[in-house]
Amino acid sequence: MNDSLSELNNHPHIWRAREQGHNETKFSFDFTPLDNALNGGVASTGLVRVSSLVGIGELSLFKRVLCQQRTHKMVVFINPPGLLQTPWLENLGLKSTQVLVVNTTSSQESLWAAEQCLKSTACHCVILWHSAISAKAARRLQVAATHNDALCLLYSTPIDKWCNEAQSLPIVLDLALQIQQHHLSIKVHKQRHGWPVDNITLSHKWTPDNHAIKWAMQRNKLTGHTLHSVS
Amino acid sequence: MLWTYIYCYQLTLDNHQQNSTDEHSSGKADTDTTYPVCVYCGNTNRIIQLNHAAQKIGIEVGHGLAQAAALCPYIHIIPFNKDNETQLLKQLAHRLYPLASDIVLDSHNGLAIRLDNLVQYYGGHNALWKTLARELSLAKVHYHFANAWTIEAAKVLAFHQTNAYFHSHEQIKQALAKCSLSLTALSDKVKTSLKRVGITRIKQLLDMPVHELGKRFDNNTITYLTTLRGEVFPKATLFRPSSYFNNAMALPFDIENTQHLVPFIKQQLEQLAHYLRARNLHTSSIHVAFHFREAPIMCFPVCSALPQSSIESWLSLLTLKIEPIVLPEPVISVTLKCNEFDDMDSESSDFFHNRFNEIAQKQLIGRLNAKLGDNSTYQPQAADSHQFEFMTVAERNTAHYSYASDITPTFTFETPKPLTQQTQICFGPVRLSNEWWRGSSYKRDYFIAQTSHGVRMLIFKDESSQWWAQGIYC
Repeated sequence: MNDSLSELNNHPHIWRAREQGHNETKFSFDFTPLDNALNGGVASTGLVRVSSLVGIGELSLFKRVLCQQRTHKMVVFINPPGLLQTPWLENLGLKSTQVLVVNTTSSQESLWAAEQCLKSTACHCVILWHSAISAKAARRLQVAATHNDALCLLYSTPIDKWCNEAQSLPIVLDLALQIQQHHLSIKVHKQRHGWPVDNITLSHKWTPDNHAIKWAMQRNKLTGHTLHSVS
Repeated sequence: MLWTYIYCYQLTLDNHQQNSTDEHSSGKADTDTTYPVCVYCGNTNRIIQLNHAAQKIGIEVGHGLAQAAALCPYIHIIPFNKDNETQLLKQLAHRLYPLASDIVLDSHNGLAIRLDNLVQYYGGHNALWKTLARELSLAKVHYHFANAWTIEAAKVLAFHQTNAYFHSHEQIKQALAKCSLSLTALSDKVKTSLKRVGITRIKQLLDMPVHELGKRFDNNTITYLTTLRGEVFPKATLFRPSSYFNNAMALPFDIENTQHLVPFIKQQLEQLAHYLRARNLHTSSIHVAFHFREAPIMCFPVCSALPQSSIESWLSLLTLKIEPIVLPEPVISVTLKCNEFDDMDSESSDFFHNRFNEIAQKQLIGRLNAKLGDNSTYQPQAADSHQFEFMTVAERNTAHYSYASDITPTFTFETPKPLTQQTQICFGPVRLSNEWWRGSSYKRDYFIAQTSHGVRMLIFKDESSQWWAQGIYC
């Protein structure tokens, strides 16, 4: 009995919580609180689910992961929620020759395309918009990604509290993003080799704003006398 | 066996147009790509290739030089040179070689690719052909193609401009039956004697029993007929990429200034970089030669202390080298040679790591297009417009200038949607007028606004104070 237990203990796929300093490669986000919560960043391969609304800086959050790793490979956008704009890509730091957009007509096709992209070994990251993925499909993508040294980002609509317990996917990382009081709040539902973390807040700027103008207005407020005062 | 024959009917013209548009896009020459151009063969006194603009004027293939000049006095004439065209065909074969192993060069304007042994690697005929067709369209070559069981049969079908991908025996047989006998490689003597007895179609000929024909025609004719039927497979010499790099480029116009040569040499260096990358090599010396009409060839080596392979490093060295050169007369063509290579060190394993990436990329795009349709994938390209609607195009246009903007959203909607929710403005206004040459004119004030959920959108107010949402920042 004891022998069989120790045999089981030696199995390489059994992970213990005390083994925090795992030697797997991670890509840093360049956001310290998030990197700390994820033990160094997002895993370099595998499927990552990000549940968020479209337009809260969910892509810019991955700027460093997308642009500074494996730069010779492609980044593929599958079924994006609009027409992808080249100047935005250039501002982010992606060359347009490195980017491929795939539009599909059904969700089945987009899963197929994602799997082909991951298996082709030509892609650094496959970004897929898909609302309801089954555990089986997620597993397929996860295996395709880890075997071919690629990352797959799956963007889905925000999940309700009650249903998220029900759907736990076999993936490396499951994040939920939300904006709360002008800060990006991140909840880690699930991460491989780590604990769930709630409520990581980041101040994340992903669009230009009128900050400079406001600052200048405040600094140069005309006090007391004005140049052309009419008395 | 299944071969495809690719008949490149205007290689010289394609090469000329490609060079002149590249030059045009770098903004150095004021050539317009729509002026009439034709290729003239001096030996037969015939126009053999011509572009659209020339066709519109009324010039046709087969016209003499005088007739062409009479129809259009300002037509641009390129003399035909068989050796040059063979060289271009070889370059095309070099380009296709990473995608297809068995390539046979046929005369100066056709090449045959064996498909049946490739199908299993590509996972189907459709994916294979999409990959090849994409590479051909990237090479900007006009071609007719067809498939058949032998090179000879495929050639006849390609000359017939079949342009369809057949892989079943029946389809090929039907297509072949329709072709005229004049397209075959039979000698004129044989053709006329067949015509006398009323045989003008291939079908009639193939229906005849071989022993009947054997009594009347010589051995060569009979062998050719059996290859057309697919009964005999003659041996063909396969194309082998050369063991050293040699690229000759005929310039689209005479160049007197070394500075203007740089963009053309850059194209050659790009090809050199591809060549080196595919073989995991780099080099420390290249040879550049300028050819003139009268003066002897000017040849000079360019050496670098460190073996390297990237375009940028070679280009900077080359520009320095050719800057002080005084050209005795205008240059008409440039050759770039490289025959001393060095192996990559084992320490630069990163180089080895991404070697096959480019081919994997092409195969992937071919496969996706095969299943999802041709318009399902695109690579977004920057366009020369400041309007959000036209900033990104799927196809690379000739202009090189791109408009950079830091307020462009990640995604735009197909058409602006009326703004229905309450938002708070975080950036703006930016007032943009549209481009007057696009028809209707408008003026819009653009803002970046945030909804109560934190979603940031590109919104605008039009002249009638209506609010619209146009894009989204992810």
